[in-house]
Amino acid sequence: MKTAAGRSLHRQLLLWLLLPQIVLWLVAAFGAYRVASRHADELVDASLLQAARALARQIKPTASGLFVDLPRSAQDILSADPDDRVMYTVSSPPGQLLLGDARMPPPPGAPAMNAPVFYDATVPEPMRVVSLDLHLGAPGAADSALRVQIARASAPRELLARRMLLDTALPLSLLIALMSVGVWAGIRRGLRPLAELQREMEGRRADALDPVQLRAAPPEVSALAGAVNELLGQVQQSLGQQRRFISDAAHQLRTPLAGLKSQTELALAAATDPALRQRLQRVHDSAVRCARLVSQLLVLARAEPEAIAAQGWAPVDCAALVQEVAADWVPRALAAGMDLGVEIATDAPAEGLQVQGVALLLREALINLIDNAVRYAGRGATLTVRLRAVGDDLWLEVEDNGPGLSPGERERVFERFARGEQGSALSADGCGLGLAIVREIAERHGGSAELLPAAPQGCIARLALPLYRC
Amino acid sequence: MTLGVCATLCRADSLPRYSAPMNLLLAEDDALLADALQQQLLNASFKVEWAENGAVAEYLLRKQDFDVAILDLGLPLVDGLTVLKRVREAGRTVPILVLTALDALEHRVAGLQAGADDYLTKPFDFPELEARLHALMRRGRPASQSQQLRRLTLDRAARRASVGGEPMELSPREWTLLDLLVNERDRVVTKPQIVAAWGSEDSAGGSIEVYIHRLRKKLEGSGLAVRTVRGLGYLLEATATPA
Repeated sequence: MKTAAGRSLHRQLLLWLLLPQIVLWLVAAFGAYRVASRHADELVDASLLQAARALARQIKPTASGLFVDLPRSAQDILSADPDDRVMYTVSSPPGQLLLGDARMPPPPGAPAMNAPVFYDATVPEPMRVVSLDLHLGAPGAADSALRVQIARASAPRELLARRMLLDTALPLSLLIALMSVGVWAGIRRGLRPLAELQREMEGRRADALDPVQLRAAPPEVSALAGAVNELLGQVQQSLGQQRRFISDAAHQLRTPLAGLKSQTELALAAATDPALRQRLQRVHDSAVRCARLVSQLLVLARAEPEAIAAQGWAPVDCAALVQEVAADWVPRALAAGMDLGVEIATDAPAEGLQVQGVALLLREALINLIDNAVRYAGRGATLTVRLRAVGDDLWLEVEDNGPGLSPGERERVFERFARGEQGSALSADGCGLGLAIVREIAERHGGSAELLPAAPQGCIARLALPLYRC
Repeated sequence: MTLGVCATLCRADSLPRYSAPMNLLLAEDDALLADALQQQLLNASFKVEWAENGAVAEYLLRKQDFDVAILDLGLPLVDGLTVLKRVREAGRTVPILVLTALDALEHRVAGLQAGADDYLTKPFDFPELEARLHALMRRGRPASQSQQLRRLTLDRAARRASVGGEPMELSPREWTLLDLLVNERDRVVTKPQIVAAWGSEDSAGGSIEVYIHRLRKKLEGSGLAVRTVRGLGYLLEATATPA
C-alpha cells in the first residue's frame, strides 16, 4: 500500500501495460528465433543429404574394390560456398575409411541401412554431419555395406537463423514502439479527468469547503468527486455546528461576566481594606479579560468564510470608518494619557478610499489595531491612524512612538494568544487574540497585516487591502 | 484601564444637573447582573424599578412614566425586541437603551428599527452606561436651562455664559460652538458637526480654527479646555488642575 501510494497512477498504468508487451515481445522474438533456426537446420540437412546421396551414387563397386568417380558437379556441391568448411568420408565397411578426412566423427549408435542420421559434432569447430549407410551392389553381400558422411560447419547455419530472426524482430519492435506511444497517449487522455480533479484540489484554499466541480467527468471520477464532496459537506456541517456552539457559548457567557464585573466594581467601591481591594481588583481585571476574550472569539467566528458570505460583501468607505472609530477611541486614549489623531490622505483617488469587504470586520480590525497601540505604547505616547492609497492598495496604519517591538516579537504577536514581552505588565486585559484577528480579517479581504518599526522609535501596524475601484 | 476610561466623563457627569431623582426601568433577567446594576444606578442617583421578565417590563412601560429604560433583549416570557415594538406601538416615547449579549450588526439594526434609542453590548463599563443614559435623557427633554461645569455656567434661555460669575463676551457662533462642545463634552466634535450647528447663523467671517482660538482664550480659568484632536475635530475636557 505504501509503495503503491508513492507511485503515480500514470506511471503504474504505463508500467503494467508496457511490461507485458515487452515480455510478449521477448517471447515472440525467442520463438521466432527457434522457428528460424529449425528451418535453417532443415535446409542445411536437406542439402547435406542431397550431397551425401550424390556422393554415394558416384561410388561403383569394381572387382578390385570400389571406384569413386567424383565429377565436377559433386565437387561443386561439396565446395558450394568458399566460407563453408566441408568434410566428407567414404568408408566400407562402415568405419573403415576409404576416402576423405579421418577426423570425421562416427554417427551415434548403430544407424539403420539407407536411413540418414544427422548429428552435431565438433571437429574442432562445430559442424553438422549427415551419415548415410547404403548397400553397395546386391543386397545381402557381406562386404557391400558403405557409409557416406558429409559434414559442414555450423556457422553459416547460425548466420542464416540470425538473419531470419532479425527480419522478424525488427518490424515487431517497431510495432511495439508504436503501441507504446499509443498506450501512453491513451493513458494521458483517459486520466485527464483525474488530472483535472488534482488541479481543482491543489488550487483550493485549505478552508474552501464548497463542492468540487468537474466538467463531464467519467463515472469513476464522478464517484470519487462525489465522495469528496460528501466528505466536504460533512466537514462543513460539523464546522458549522462547532462555530455555532462557540458563538452561542460566547453569547451565553456575556451576561454572567457582566454581572461578575458589576458586582466586583460595587465591592471595590465599598471595600476599604487595601489587601481586599487588591484582590477584588484582580477579580475585576480577570472578568474584564474574560469578557474581552469572549468578544474576540465572536469576532473570530464572524471572520470565518461562511460567516463572511452571510454578512454580505460591499464597498466600505474607509475614511468615514477611520474617523468614526478614532473619534470613539479619543476619550479612552486621553484617559490612558495618549494623544490619538488621524491623518487621511487628501490626494485620494476619485472613487475615494474604499475597499470591498465586510464593514463590521474592517471596523473590528481597526479597533484591534488602536486597542493594541493604546495598550502597549505607554503613557505620553502619540498615536496616529493614517489612511492612504499606495498603488493598488489602501494602507490603513496605526503608528505609535512607544517602546516598539523586536523583529522576532513583531511576527510572534500575530500568533493567537501571543503577547509582546515588555508589554506584559501593561497587558492586564489583553487576551492575545487582537493581532491574530487583524491578520485573519486582512487575509479574508485579500490583503495583509504586518508590524513595522517606526522612526525614531515605536511601531507601525499596517493593514494593506486591495483598493476598490468602481 | 477600563475603570480609567471614563474618568473624565464621570467627573463631568457627577455634577448635579437634575433636581429630582430619575425614574428608571431595568428589565434584566439575570439576577446577579440586575442586582449589581440596581445598586450602581442607585449610587448614580437613579430611582430603579426592576422587571425580571418581558411581560412585567411591557406592563410597567405601558402603565408608568419613566425617564429612561434599560431593556435586555434576551428576556423570558416576552423577548425584549417584542416588548420594544409593543411599547412603541402603544405610543410610549420613553427613551430606551437596549442591552444585549448579542452584538452582530443585524441585531443592532433590528433593535434600533424596533424603536431603541441606543444600544450597548454586555459586558459594559458602568460609567459608559451612565453617560449614555444621561445623553438619552438630554435628547428626550429640552436641555436644562442652566448648567454648571467646573467654573463655567451656561444660561441657555439667555444664551449667556459666565466663568466664575464673570460674564463671557460671546458672538452667536461662539455661543453655539460652546453649547455644542458642552453638550458633547469628552467626545469629539467634528468640523462638519460644527458647520451643521452653525447653520445659517450670521457669519462674522473666519474659519472654525479662529473661533476655537477665541473660545480657548475666553475659557481660560474655567477649569475647562478645548483640545484639538488631530484630523478629527475638537473636544471639551476638564483641565488637569481643577479650579
